[in-house]
Amino acid sequence: MFSITRRSLMLAALLASAAGGANPTFAQSGDVTISHYFTGELGLKAFNEQVEKFEQATGVKMKESPVGHEDFKTDILVRAAGHSLPDVFSYWAGARVDFIVKSSSLRPIDNMWASEKLDSVVAKPIADSATLYDGKRFLVPFNYHYAGLFYNKKVLADAGMAAPPATWDEFIALCKTLKKKGVAPVALGSKNRWPAQFWFDYLLLRTAGPDYRAKLMKGEASYDDPEVVAAMSLWKDLLDQGFFVENANADDWTDAADKVARGDAAMTLMGTWITGYWNGVGLVPGEDYDFFPFPEIKDGVPNAAVGPVDGLVISANAANPEGAEKFLAFMMSNADVQAKWAEAQGALSANVNVDPKTYNSVMQGAAKTVAEAEAFAFNYDLATTPPVAEVGLSMFTRFIDDPSKLDEILKAVAVDAKTAFKQ
Amino acid sequence: MERQNTVWRIALLAPPLSVFAVFVIWPLFSSFIYSLTNWNGFGSDYDFVGLDNFAKIFTDKLFMSAAINTTIWMVAAIVVPTLFGLGLALLLDGKVPGGRAFKTVFYLPICLSAVIVGQIWIWIYQPDWGLLNTVLSNITGEKMRYAWLAKPDTALGSVILAWSWQQTGLSMVIYLAGLTAIPEDLLEVCEIEGAKLWQRIVFVVLPLLTPSTVVVIALSVINSLKGFDILYIMTGGGPFNSSDTLAMHMYNESFRKYLMGYGSAISVVLFLIALTIIGIYFRQLKKVDRIYG
Repeated sequence: MFSITRRSLMLAALLASAAGGANPTFAQSGDVTISHYFTGELGLKAFNEQVEKFEQATGVKMKESPVGHEDFKTDILVRAAGHSLPDVFSYWAGARVDFIVKSSSLRPIDNMWASEKLDSVVAKPIADSATLYDGKRFLVPFNYHYAGLFYNKKVLADAGMAAPPATWDEFIALCKTLKKKGVAPVALGSKNRWPAQFWFDYLLLRTAGPDYRAKLMKGEASYDDPEVVAAMSLWKDLLDQGFFVENANADDWTDAADKVARGDAAMTLMGTWITGYWNGVGLVPGEDYDFFPFPEIKDGVPNAAVGPVDGLVISANAANPEGAEKFLAFMMSNADVQAKWAEAQGALSANVNVDPKTYNSVMQGAAKTVAEAEAFAFNYDLATTPPVAEVGLSMFTRFIDDPSKLDEILKAVAVDAKTAFKQ
Repeated sequence: MERQNTVWRIALLAPPLSVFAVFVIWPLFSSFIYSLTNWNGFGSDYDFVGLDNFAKIFTDKLFMSAAINTTIWMVAAIVVPTLFGLGLALLLDGKVPGGRAFKTVFYLPICLSAVIVGQIWIWIYQPDWGLLNTVLSNITGEKMRYAWLAKPDTALGSVILAWSWQQTGLSMVIYLAGLTAIPEDLLEVCEIEGAKLWQRIVFVVLPLLTPSTVVVIALSVINSLKGFDILYIMTGGGPFNSSDTLAMHMYNESFRKYLMGYGSAISVVLFLIALTIIGIYFRQLKKVDRIYG
């Protein structure tokens, strides 16, 4: 019965908010309502500081409601269903934004983009990949992250690593040395599934290239194609040789980060937010930890960087669209706001005018790597549509649990993904 | 006077009735409406697809495995907390040294929220340093590093065990209350007549505890159908959907895949299943009432 009650509550919430449909926000006229998922200790404080700066600069008041990262995914859906979306909300660029654009829940911001000259502010690769949907601009990229192999400097120095492995063979050799020394080469916390996706992203991008991957993400290629089999086989090879920690599916990403920090494992493939986590527990960037990009596997494949872009969007029925646009423009264009925010989040600013010197050494390296990359790709669950992402994410954990079933798993996933694309 | 009473009755009943209508009746009704659409939860455009969502249930592998898991959960819920609760109640009934302390200890878990119980058991099951593997390592002398919650064979069972640990206290208290209602002289007579302890339990105590058993089983079934929160905390239905229940599956379809129409269809089916079980149960209850009432 609980499930029914749970559902009832949600629908009742929808109903209650639908009743207020004519005036969906309770804010005073002139205020801008905003909801976001920056609730971590560092993030929330920094966000509020930047909001305050905006209020002082413009006189527009913001009404905030922060919601935890995972809960936000459900919360925003419930609010959209009840036609009570806030004027502005944070959202993950890619398939998720695409999904709500198709439901006509967002307001295009092309005019504001042009009048605020954001073309000269937003880094071009990010603008190209994250802001345009169906030929219109909908999102201002608030910041972005980059996924790389973050490692414990002492552990890799002890293993005799002079320079980060640039090729796949060097990477395998490094893993072998680590394993001989009794250190697990790679930590992975795939309990909540998504941390496993970066391995799939990079292995596929480095072997089949960004164009093929884009096709797979759109449903124009199949999960039992030779390209996918080849990428997954490389992963299987790593698992078979015991390069990953035992029981990865039992750990979450912070468990994996802890293992690397303690030196039980050497490295983990994670987003730049791990630097925020490590700095928070007292590790020193550049001294205790650093990162290297995922190694090259095949010649001639464009070198792509992977990561999510956090953006701000305006809802289609915003009560105060002018104020909302002012807010987006301010948060994006003000280099000082962007610098402060990026530092607190362990993120990279999408604003080209932010001085790279404001980053710590590791983040400077990450910014440089992304700048030099030939393409920027969203991580798996932001690159493909949500029903398919569910199928894929479950596939990764199933594969990690028993890599020997790879062929069987890919065949089943190919069928499931095709069905999910039709939905 | 009579008329005034009626007015008062209506006036007093109106607030709770309207709350009930808005928060229970209407959502139930709209769930059914949504189940006939392909609504994605966002926006306002959707099509009526008739019974397509219900037809899809029959070809949905994940629905089938979730239905099996829900059945396993329900059977376990009827057997495990009931037996443990009964055992504890029989042990702790009467004058046991420290009995009160034991009763409190066994009852306490029911006061904790599922989030806390889930977290405690996550630590117990933790593969590297968890209590369970540590104990097993000491017994067998070999280093155990089994990931109970991360292996498809044991994930569901491990969650059910944690859940049963919480529910046992409730069964125990209901049985203890039932035991106080059994007249002591009856048991004394049996003892004088030469009945052994097990005979007294099986032939006298257990039949007289039937009303308590009825309540315990009813609560277990209802609580097992709402077995969502602890599962959400401990495994989230994973690894790879191996511990999904119908409630979890419905959540995944609605909120992770954005298939609100299909999710609603699952909730309607779940509602019908619950209704059927409760219907059967109430019929049986009437029979019991006729015998013991």
